[in-house]
Amino acid sequence: MKVVLVQFSPHLGLLDKNLDLHYQFIDRALEEKADLIIFPELSLTGYTLKDLISEVALNPRKNNQLNRLKSYSHKIDIVVGIVEEGNPGLFYNSAVYYSKGEILAIHRKVFLPTFGLFEEGKFFATGRNFKTFPTPFGQVGLLICRDFLHYGASYCLLAGKADLIIILSAAPGRGMSENSGFTSSEMWELMGAAISRFSTAFVLYCNRVGFEDGVVFAGGSFIYDPWGKCLLRGPDIEPAFLSLELELEDLRRARKTWSFLRDDKPEIILNSLQNLLAKNED
Amino acid sequence: MKINPEFVTSVITKFIREELNKFGFNRAVLGLSGGLDSTVCAFLAVRALGQDNVLTLIMPYGQTFPQDVEDAKAVVSLLQCRAMIIDIQPMVDAYFHRYPTDNPVLKGNKMARERMAILYDFSAREKALILGTSNKTELLIGYGTIHGDMACGLNPIGDLYKTQIRQLAIWLGVPEKIRNKVPTAGLWPGQTDEGEIGLTYEEIDKILFELVDLRRSRQEVIASGFDPKKVNLVWEMIKRSEFKRRMPPIIKLSSRTVGHDFLYPYDWDK
Repeated sequence: MKVVLVQFSPHLGLLDKNLDLHYQFIDRALEEKADLIIFPELSLTGYTLKDLISEVALNPRKNNQLNRLKSYSHKIDIVVGIVEEGNPGLFYNSAVYYSKGEILAIHRKVFLPTFGLFEEGKFFATGRNFKTFPTPFGQVGLLICRDFLHYGASYCLLAGKADLIIILSAAPGRGMSENSGFTSSEMWELMGAAISRFSTAFVLYCNRVGFEDGVVFAGGSFIYDPWGKCLLRGPDIEPAFLSLELELEDLRRARKTWSFLRDDKPEIILNSLQNLLAKNED
Repeated sequence: MKINPEFVTSVITKFIREELNKFGFNRAVLGLSGGLDSTVCAFLAVRALGQDNVLTLIMPYGQTFPQDVEDAKAVVSLLQCRAMIIDIQPMVDAYFHRYPTDNPVLKGNKMARERMAILYDFSAREKALILGTSNKTELLIGYGTIHGDMACGLNPIGDLYKTQIRQLAIWLGVPEKIRNKVPTAGLWPGQTDEGEIGLTYEEIDKILFELVDLRRSRQEVIASGFDPKKVNLVWEMIKRSEFKRRMPPIIKLSSRTVGHDFLYPYDWDK
């Protein structure tokens, strides 16, 4: 299968303008005969929305603004980031997976960073579920940015037998050293290598670029194979249209060597978690 | 504290370009003093926008610092950017003629605000966004005039300590003469930043890096071998200058108030 990661910079608060950009990227992906195109977190709205959230929110199951995206998905699977208004007035930072003219899944971001320069918890409602779902390319799990840094989230996707772990991200670059790039990019790559290897799954991480209110988004999107090997690494801070042919057969090959998935024991993990939580006095 | 100057330059020039573009500008204006920070800023601006789109204003007070004017002119001829020399003495003297003072700080502040007023005037005349030239060290210790040299439309060097600006300056090819100048706010002949503050920039930056970037407590920083007097001095300077880094508080009366819970991004619809 051929996959495309769109490392771009959405316009902050301008849904229609961003939709147009999405159509252009999808057209290009179709020309390259890609099977799946992945956009970054909040790709249709931009990230630093604050009180703009309610103005760009939509319900993808009811709202017809995304119909053209949906019909595009007859030709190519599409993952986009939106502000989802679930129940009226409840705004989620969500990722939507479209395939064959249908919504296959919506993931609502669970871990909303609210510290330092982040204030997502102030504006977004919290998602409450990690799940995997079948797609034409195997079992897929979606995560959004900070979700991926909590390894329990990725564990849930392993327990759900994910073949492809897709992360939509709007990760700011921060921390300087003598090396090129931001030091913060290293933690994403560390996680990418570890999670792909120990889940024997592909990890596809699409991070945005551009500036919002003085913050620079770091780019550096990547794809790791089921052995934990980096297959593709996008440039720092520059926009890029990244496409790659994935050999889905590699899942089988990796799992013949490494039996992490076969040997996993989610029921024991669940039991242990319940025991730990029962004892937790706070 | 080490930086990769090539990468930092790529981030900053991209930031200048994209941010100006978002707000419908393609030109920048900045005050060029002949010192290191404004020179580095001018180098970055020319890289980002091209020499024809950068206007530097050299704004001396009479003939007080002729060498600085010469240095600023040398930067202009090196960069081939646009430049104007505007003497602020008539405006500043007119004011102090009516309200005399011997206090050099009052005079320095007035001069800084006169330069600010000229920059904003030229910003409108030239449809050029003002680039700020305050570095991280100055912003943190409050070594600057509020609504004076701290005022700008966009600050490309405000997250770099003075010692990091020096690293950047070498890579950018800033002449050695300017890199080796003793930093001064130009308050009076012979005045130096380090003399006035009582610490060198190396000392201040190392302490700031511990307190700010590494989030260590004063006690931890002192325990790791720094002079308690110096650490406490830096801490006090940070504390008493917070007002310079913030919009002033607005009394909250209604259910939605500017500065409290009317929260929109700076880059709104950009």
